[in-house]
Amino acid sequence: MEGADLILNVDQPGKVLFAKTALDGHWRGPAVVVHVLRDAGFEVIYLGMATADEIAAAAVQEDVDLVGLNVGGSLAVVMRILDKLDVSAPDVGVMLGGTIQPQHRSALEARGVSTFPPGSMFSDIVEQARRLVEARRGSKRDVTSA
Amino acid sequence: MSSEQGDSDRYFTASGIPLRGWYGPEDVPSPAREAGAGSPGVPPYVRGAYPGMYRTKPWRVFQLSGHGNPEDERERILFLLSQGETGFIMEHDRNTADHLYNVDHPEVVARREDVGQTGAVIQSVRDYETILDGIDIGHYYAHPGGAVVQHAPFALGCYWTVARRRGLDLSRLSGTGQSDFFLTYLGCIPKRQIPTEAGIRLNTDIIEFCGRYLPRWVPVSIAAYNAADTGLNAYQELAALFANAAVYLDEINRRTPENLTRLAYMVGGINLRVGMDFFEDICKMRAARKMWVELLRRRYGITDPRATRLRIHIVTAGSALAYQQPLNNIARGTIMAMASVLGGTQSLGVATYDEAMSIPSEHAHQMSLRIQQIIHHETNIPAVADPLGGSHYVEALTAELEARAWEVFEEIESRGGFAAVLDEGWLHDLAAGNQLDLADAVNRGDRKMVGVNAFVEDVTPWEMTGFEPVEGVWDQSMERLRLVRRERDGRAAATALRDLETACRGDANIMPAVMEAVAAQATLGEFGDVFSEVFGDWKVPISF
Repeated sequence: MEGADLILNVDQPGKVLFAKTALDGHWRGPAVVVHVLRDAGFEVIYLGMATADEIAAAAVQEDVDLVGLNVGGSLAVVMRILDKLDVSAPDVGVMLGGTIQPQHRSALEARGVSTFPPGSMFSDIVEQARRLVEARRGSKRDVTSA
Repeated sequence: MSSEQGDSDRYFTASGIPLRGWYGPEDVPSPAREAGAGSPGVPPYVRGAYPGMYRTKPWRVFQLSGHGNPEDERERILFLLSQGETGFIMEHDRNTADHLYNVDHPEVVARREDVGQTGAVIQSVRDYETILDGIDIGHYYAHPGGAVVQHAPFALGCYWTVARRRGLDLSRLSGTGQSDFFLTYLGCIPKRQIPTEAGIRLNTDIIEFCGRYLPRWVPVSIAAYNAADTGLNAYQELAALFANAAVYLDEINRRTPENLTRLAYMVGGINLRVGMDFFEDICKMRAARKMWVELLRRRYGITDPRATRLRIHIVTAGSALAYQQPLNNIARGTIMAMASVLGGTQSLGVATYDEAMSIPSEHAHQMSLRIQQIIHHETNIPAVADPLGGSHYVEALTAELEARAWEVFEEIESRGGFAAVLDEGWLHDLAAGNQLDLADAVNRGDRKMVGVNAFVEDVTPWEMTGFEPVEGVWDQSMERLRLVRRERDGRAAATALRDLETACRGDANIMPAVMEAVAAQATLGEFGDVFSEVFGDWKVPISF
């Protein structure tokens, strides 16, 4: 990551990669969230249904600040994505929405992932996205200045 | 009428129709008054499809179900039937069925733990044999899956093949297909999918095949539910429904006009969504029946009262249910189920209270049955047909929905028809716009949702968990797939698949070749590869 890019990005709220983890093409929820994030100024790359490898690769290639996941299946599939991201993009925050089983939320939160089930308020989503972007940029600034 | 009836700029239906404080006879256009004064069971059927309605024919209790391995799906179906369900539905795993992938497809392998979480994994006729073991399919009305257009030939072929092997006469078999365009061309778009034109051809083949061999089958139940749950409002849903029906009828008319009336009857088994706007959705069902009569008469000159009788299956709106305070969904399900019955449905599935968090648990499923049974047995509602008919409000709203629906129908026609508005993404834009408006309104608090943006405190005495299907489904599905490949007559399967490909490339009905391929134990993924090879891939008209 070049320092110049960082400076150019500083005024933008952040760059988000948004993907669906399951082979389930329902787009109603993702469309709303993508719209909300763009409305708040984020740049959003929509990957659609994607595998753990595809998500991790895109997060690196696009140098995103944040990964948003729409889930609708097993916890194991989500965990595999988190494992990949931990390796290839450890400083990137992850937010997760969709049909999240209540009993899985604590396991996800323990991995540092914030969860937004159906009915979540837009303001909470945007606020958390800002916080995660700020955290990443803060850590990048530390790295750059070091 | 006068201002004393109240402002019409503050109260609206869910689809945005302005509402008065009360309605009088002057608010009902005279043709609507006449239609509303008619009898149930006679055209234009505003007041109900059958003269005796629920006295002679209770609605079918018909719940979506399925998960895990074929044995798990069988177990759940048997549970529901033992609890009073009167027909059964076989739900397929989204990860495989939507895309026509076997479980060893790399896209599936990459997410193997998801397999079986959204329906049962069914890859060959053997899996149908397992699910249906011990279920009297000659007796029950069934929807054996195939909600997805490109998946339907395989799903129906499997079910009918099991029936044949049991020595059942197909002409006496009753049930419904679906092959719904709104599901995978609008709301839930898969990784690979044949173009709309090929889909219309496949569906018309199914309709013709049923016309010939399965007269008691609903070949393609147009599922306007899926259009509505993707975002279309009540009158857009009606318009899209009939634009879709018109495509099938036009195609039948082109192929075999002499069969049109008989096949129009078969196309007249459809499904709609009932959401939380109680009266609007009741009126929508009444308007739908009238519109079908009008469509058949005006466009095709069909007046046969058997053909013009629309039969409705209702699914209550999954998207109207909340993640927060999930038991509230039992109240919502009850209200939507009541609207469905008051609107005169022939068949009903009530979305389960755990809808927002997982596929249904056994208990949530049972509650959906109990809601229907309580309405049936305890309320006396079913004793009288169309109990709301003649209400000034109900008749005025029915007429208004019909008028608006025809306008949208004409707009779809002027944009090139049903396939064009899907191919060009016009319906998607319409749905997306409504979705955003609704989400915005809930977020701002303009539209209250109890437990979500109002009355959010919850003192429920226990923690609700989502239903988790059995584990290891992918491994077991792989094992079944290996067995099929090893044990079937490989040459016979290959020949049948080649014949299927030839049929797809030609003009003849593909269903005989589908039945042969299914009987030869061709697998789901092999069907997908043939379709993909012959028809190519639909160009998805939306991007984010």
